[in-house]
Amino acid sequence: MNFIFALLFIISTVMLLFFNPEGVLTAMLIGGEKALTLTLKLVVIYAVWMGVFKLVETSGLAEKFAKLLKPFNKLLFGNLTEKENEYVSLNISANALGMSGATTPTGISTILEFEKRPNTEYHIIMFFVINATTIQLIPTSVIGLRSAMNSNSPADIILPTIIATLTSAVIGILLVKIFVRRK
Amino acid sequence: MSKYFIPVLFLIIIATSLIKKVKPYDAFISGAKSAIPFAVNLFPYLACIFILTELFEVSGLSNYLTKILSPIFNFLGIPKELTKLVLIKPFSGSGALAVLSDVYEAYGVDSYLSRCASAIYGSSETVFYVASVYFANAKTKKLFKPIIISLIASLCSSIMACLICKIL
Repeated sequence: MNFIFALLFIISTVMLLFFNPEGVLTAMLIGGEKALTLTLKLVVIYAVWMGVFKLVETSGLAEKFAKLLKPFNKLLFGNLTEKENEYVSLNISANALGMSGATTPTGISTILEFEKRPNTEYHIIMFFVINATTIQLIPTSVIGLRSAMNSNSPADIILPTIIATLTSAVIGILLVKIFVRRK
Repeated sequence: MSKYFIPVLFLIIIATSLIKKVKPYDAFISGAKSAIPFAVNLFPYLACIFILTELFEVSGLSNYLTKILSPIFNFLGIPKELTKLVLIKPFSGSGALAVLSDVYEAYGVDSYLSRCASAIYGSSETVFYVASVYFANAKTKKLFKPIIISLIASLCSSIMACLICKIL
C-alpha cells in the first residue's frame, strides 16, 4: 500500500505541477471532505448493522447459519475455529445478498479474528480476495440507474453480471490457491 | 420480491432473540455503540483513498492511462469507450457510477456498450477502497499480493462481461 500510495501520489502531483500547481492542495482537501461525508454516513449504516448483528450473535442465529455454510468455508479455508467460521459465514452471505453496509463490519471482525492465528497469510488473503471480487447476485444500483434512464429491460444485465462476477471469484480463488502457500 | 427480504429478515432476528430470552434492546445498543469508534477509525484510511482518487482524476493521470491502456484493453475485448470505467472502478464506486451514467447518456442505455458497462460495473469491486477499509485495524500490512490478485481477477471479469454481452 505504501508503494502504491507513493507511486500514484508522485505521478499525479508531478503532472499537476506542470499545468495546475494550485490544484494539488484543493484536490486533497476535496478528497478529505468526501471521506468525511462518507464517514458520517457510515456511522449510521454501521450503527444499524452492528446493532442487528449483535442480535444475530446473541440469539444463536449466527451459530445455526455458520453450521449451514461450514462445508463451503472448509473448501476455501480448510479448518476454521467456530468463531472464525461464524464471522466468515455472516460476511459471505452479506456479500452474496448485496447488503453492502453489512459486509464491512463483518469483514473487519473476520480479519481481526484471523490475526489471532500464528500463520495467517493464506486465510487473510483468501478472505480479502473473496470480498474484493464480490460474489454479488443482484446488482441493484445498476438496475435502478437503468430503469431511471428508461431502459427497455433494465434487468437483462443480471445474467451477464452474475457470470462475470463468478468468473472473477473463481479466478481470484484459484490464484490464491496457486500463489499463496497455506502453512 | 427482494424488497421484502430485509424487513422479513429483521423480523426473524428479533423474534428469535425474544424466543431465546435475549434482551433485544440491550443487545442492539451494545452493537450500535461500537459503530462510532469503528467509523472514526476508518476516517484516515478513507481520507487517504479519496485524496488519491481525487489527485488521480484532477491530474489527468486517469485520462492519460486511459489512452495508454485502451489498445491493450481493446485487444482483450474491452471496447475503448469503457477503458475509463475499468480503470476508475478499483478506486471509487461513486466515480465509476458517474462514468457509467455518462456511457448511458452517450450511447443509449440499451446499446451493446451500455450493457457491457453495466456488467463491468456490477461485477467488479472497489479493490483499493476495500483494501484500505478492511485492513484499517489489522496488523497485517502486506497488501500487495491480495491487491494484485484481486485486480487481475477483476480485469478477467470485465473481459468476460464484454464477451457475454456479445453473445446474449
